[in-house]
Amino acid sequence: MIAPAKSGLNLTLKVWRQSNREASGEFKTYELSNISTDMSFLEMLDVLNQQLISRGEEPVAFDHDCREGICGMCGVMINGQPHGPDRNVTTCQLHMRRFRDGDTIVIEPWRAEAFPVLRDLVVDRTSFDRIIQQGGFVSVNTGSAPEANSLPVPRVKQERAMDAAACIGCGACVAACKNASAMLFVSAKVSHLSHLPQGGGERASRVLGMIGQMDREGFGACTNTGECEAACPANISLWNIAVLNREYIRASLASNVQ
Amino acid sequence: METGSANPQSSLTNRLNLGWLGRMLSSSVGRKFVMGVTGLLLCGFLIGHLAGNLLLFGGPEAFDAYATWIHNQEFLPLIELGLLLLFLAHIYLAVVVTIENRAARSKRYAVKHSKQAGMPPLPPHNWMFVSGAIVLGFVLLHLADLRIGLRPDLAFPEWDEHHPRMYEMTVAVLSNPLSRVVYIIGTIFLGLHLSHGAASAFRSLGWDHPKYTPTIRLMSWLFAIVIGVGFCSLPILIPELAAVAPPEAKIVTPAEP
Repeated sequence: MIAPAKSGLNLTLKVWRQSNREASGEFKTYELSNISTDMSFLEMLDVLNQQLISRGEEPVAFDHDCREGICGMCGVMINGQPHGPDRNVTTCQLHMRRFRDGDTIVIEPWRAEAFPVLRDLVVDRTSFDRIIQQGGFVSVNTGSAPEANSLPVPRVKQERAMDAAACIGCGACVAACKNASAMLFVSAKVSHLSHLPQGGGERASRVLGMIGQMDREGFGACTNTGECEAACPANISLWNIAVLNREYIRASLASNVQ
Repeated sequence: METGSANPQSSLTNRLNLGWLGRMLSSSVGRKFVMGVTGLLLCGFLIGHLAGNLLLFGGPEAFDAYATWIHNQEFLPLIELGLLLLFLAHIYLAVVVTIENRAARSKRYAVKHSKQAGMPPLPPHNWMFVSGAIVLGFVLLHLADLRIGLRPDLAFPEWDEHHPRMYEMTVAVLSNPLSRVVYIIGTIFLGLHLSHGAASAFRSLGWDHPKYTPTIRLMSWLFAIVIGVGFCSLPILIPELAAVAPPEAKIVTPAEP
């Protein structure tokens, strides 16, 4: 016989509420009862919002899209940790079974000058797009999927490029870093493209352009604390930051890109 | 108007084609690169300085012989100038980078916890600027004590350029209880600063590789421990050893013929 479902969690949420970019914002406390441990964190926020709507209050704005951990849209600080307490998961893949009955959960948006809060938990991450625009691409039109054996890539390079390409651009690295540095994000993009033959031709201009834009956006520098790597849901290695540094020094000292 | 009056400085950089250097030194990655290089060169100085200072354990003759040798080197002013430039560059960049890093997040989190497993409370990498500032304060006091000799409260021996009685001076400084505590604290914070800085510098230089990183990490840790414990042992042990065998009793060697 199937055991009767245990009653759900009773939670206290402290959620950052901010009506627009200019508003100062504050924490608001909400009580939730009977939250199923099978829910994802975002489903729990959906339940909260449904209750707020039925009470005639403004629902909490938060970013989300695919809800299966691959789009990079979701992401909030959960009790002071980007994407919550688990390693290698996004907020949408965090489940309520990770919490205990009676817990208080503090939910904050990513905080960085380069990620201004637009509303509640939603931040403007277009600074990442502008960094990509400065070289995070391959200019040559590589066309549709080529014949697999026409451009051989050694397996080690494939793997390194693929590991770096796993970055979903969620911004957890920036959120975790004490300097709000975007180095792990930029390093993943630079490392991904520079390891492949299609991206190799522009490696100098790419790294100079992307680092230049990263600095102009107001992200901090790297102190090598490793917080970004621990917070990354895509398991991007800190090793990429060393690759980025190497690429930058090489492009500055030993390339003809002005 | 403005097109006619070119800035002479910018035209010089243009003529020498040094725009790349300016861009590199004003970028976050370039600045950390220079911080890493200057930090590692200063680590090199620490090795030499500790090796020399450990001669304090050899007694007055050994240490004063070393002090005499190094004070009579013609290149000493050049080394001192180089060290000064390294310090100034490292400190200037630390200030600039720290200000920018603080500005990158003006609104702090209400709650913030590390996601790294086994992170001690207050890990040294979170307060490198503070530990660096404490070390700087200590270095300035140390220079005032033993390089410039600004200690009117202590009975220093007469300064003799050719036979500096550095052992006696060092013991005089370290025997002062307040100085002794300051030297112990300064050297402990130096060790803490190095426990992150030494390994971190290699990554800032782009030197992080599965082949080398485990060795670099281990060597950097050992380096921080050796430097920290080595320097810290001097204010702890030297006054005790000197009290057992007072230096006055040994300094009877006449000037060499």
